[in-house]
Amino acid sequence: MSETKFEPHTGAVKFTMLVAGAVFALMMLVGLLMRAAQGNLIELDPALFYQLLSAHGAGMVGTAGLSGAAIMWYFVGRYVPLSAKMYWAFIALFLLGVVFILVSIFIGGYGAAWTFLFPLPAMSAGAWEPWAGALFILGYTSIGVGFLLYYLAIGYPIIKQYGGLGRSMAWHVAFGGADPEDGPPPTIIAASVVTVFNTLGIVVGAAVLVASLVNLLVPGFAVDALLAKNMIFFFGHVFINASIYMAVIAVYEIIPEYTGRPWKTTRIFAIAWASILLFVMAVYPHHLLQDMVMPGWMLIMGQVVSYLSGLPLLVVTAFSLCVYLIGSKMRWDLASALLVLAVAGWSVGSIPAIIDGMIVANKLMHNTQWVPGHFHIYLLLGEVAMSFGFMAWLVRSRNVSEEGLSGLDRLAFGSYVLGGAGFTVMFLISGALSIPRRWAVHLPEWVLQDQIATVFGLLVVLSTLVIVLKYVAGLRR
Amino acid sequence: MQSIILIVSLVLMAVVALAFWRVIGAVNTDVEPVNIGSRRSKLFWGLVIFGLLVTVGSLREWPHVMASGNEVVQVNATAEQFSWEIDTQKIPIGKKIVFNLHTKDVNHGFGVFNLSGRLLFQMQAMPGYINKVSYIFEKPGLYKVRCMELCGVGHHDMNDEFEVVTK
Repeated sequence: MSETKFEPHTGAVKFTMLVAGAVFALMMLVGLLMRAAQGNLIELDPALFYQLLSAHGAGMVGTAGLSGAAIMWYFVGRYVPLSAKMYWAFIALFLLGVVFILVSIFIGGYGAAWTFLFPLPAMSAGAWEPWAGALFILGYTSIGVGFLLYYLAIGYPIIKQYGGLGRSMAWHVAFGGADPEDGPPPTIIAASVVTVFNTLGIVVGAAVLVASLVNLLVPGFAVDALLAKNMIFFFGHVFINASIYMAVIAVYEIIPEYTGRPWKTTRIFAIAWASILLFVMAVYPHHLLQDMVMPGWMLIMGQVVSYLSGLPLLVVTAFSLCVYLIGSKMRWDLASALLVLAVAGWSVGSIPAIIDGMIVANKLMHNTQWVPGHFHIYLLLGEVAMSFGFMAWLVRSRNVSEEGLSGLDRLAFGSYVLGGAGFTVMFLISGALSIPRRWAVHLPEWVLQDQIATVFGLLVVLSTLVIVLKYVAGLRR
Repeated sequence: MQSIILIVSLVLMAVVALAFWRVIGAVNTDVEPVNIGSRRSKLFWGLVIFGLLVTVGSLREWPHVMASGNEVVQVNATAEQFSWEIDTQKIPIGKKIVFNLHTKDVNHGFGVFNLSGRLLFQMQAMPGYINKVSYIFEKPGLYKVRCMELCGVGHHDMNDEFEVVTK
């Protein structure tokens, strides 16, 4: 059942990755400006800092989702017929949302971060008007509606072709004793599972967005802050995880072209994805470990599931990649190097994340720079690396693959790894030194770490520019 | 404690990175992966047992356990954009202190930093709720309070302090 039959929407996906690459580079530049400002290397007004923080967070999370969605659309399009119109509707709603968010931040002055934690969008202490908060939320809503359309467009043909949602998630292989040969290909399993949990995540997100919007327009309408926080972190956690789980499809589909060993559906693979469905949705209380009014069992669940979430990644995805690589006749080029880096970065980044998910450690590390430390590892060296690897593969030429890594590729790749590792480790060190995250102005004793991080960040930005410009050049070939 | 967390994390991260490095070194060689199922099974059960031990060890004593009894000193702290109001400025050393945290507006984070600038503990302040944490201070001196949750344009200015005294 795993043979490919259809032609993916290459043009639309190439356009999406062009947008994603450009926004990734721009948002990295914004991140660099914030680190430089914390390090007293440049001056940024605190109000502008929090606006940039909001743009960086929303921009990066949104673009991670967009690039993951493009990757999934491309490869699912090999197995089932997909509607190009629906994809363009998704892109249009996404871009409309981006416009709303940009106006909200840079004209309205919104600076309540991408997490829009209730009731901050409505209580700015005079920094922005309610309309800016409302527009930010409308921007998210537009993007959310776009994603719901996207999952409808991808979920329906999958269900139709593979005989139901359970079968497309390979539950008959995982739990029914069916032969893995009769299961769907890994891409379809991953796409089906992500479709289920991210649809639920976005629906919950939409509910809290609407509640926040009503609160902005009618301040007397109050939402329970604890409920809103639970819903926001459920949505946020599920969405950002979905972006990685969509992007990893690039690894399943592209790496076999280099190793000559197909990424097969096995019973362990099917069980892993069934557990991912559960873990991604059950783990979010690890964001609320310092809210003592939360039920204790939920905090314990957050800690335990946080650890369990690492198992499918380490035991199945990372382990399988290693098995496929050992002894293979792998051809290294920018695409394959970035995709292998991405799985390694994701795996490495899961460790400080799991440690932060322990209540005793979280008491000391929560909302310090430890947090951006761990999520930058599995995003910068994980999801973004997957996206860049996919981009390099999209515009590859036969000659480039045969020649392997050019000098420029080696320089860009090496700088990206070195810069990314240094940048993220500086966050972890700063977290261990108890430096709070999201502070516009840093104390003098914190500045040195910020300055060192800025140098590493500059390396990341420069190498990203090379990777993105190479993609642009590849598109023009 | 933070240093231990950092070192343990970096060592484990290095182990994973090293595993990938060794695999990359085995690409384009004649080495073939052997005993895949058995190795995967060992990795899985090893991680499960390790996780069980760490979970039980770290939760055996509930991290948010509350002090109780007549000896407990209650301290009320209230957050408001962008300041703290702490009703007790001199806190006795060696006594069980319970901090009751309120907020008048948005979410804040109540982080208490020791004399070396390290975070001792923290909790979230949430509209409509009172979060509580208990702590026993063992050294006299000025302790800083810093906001640990983005609360608006003056988030980084939301600082205060209290003194821990011997008498």
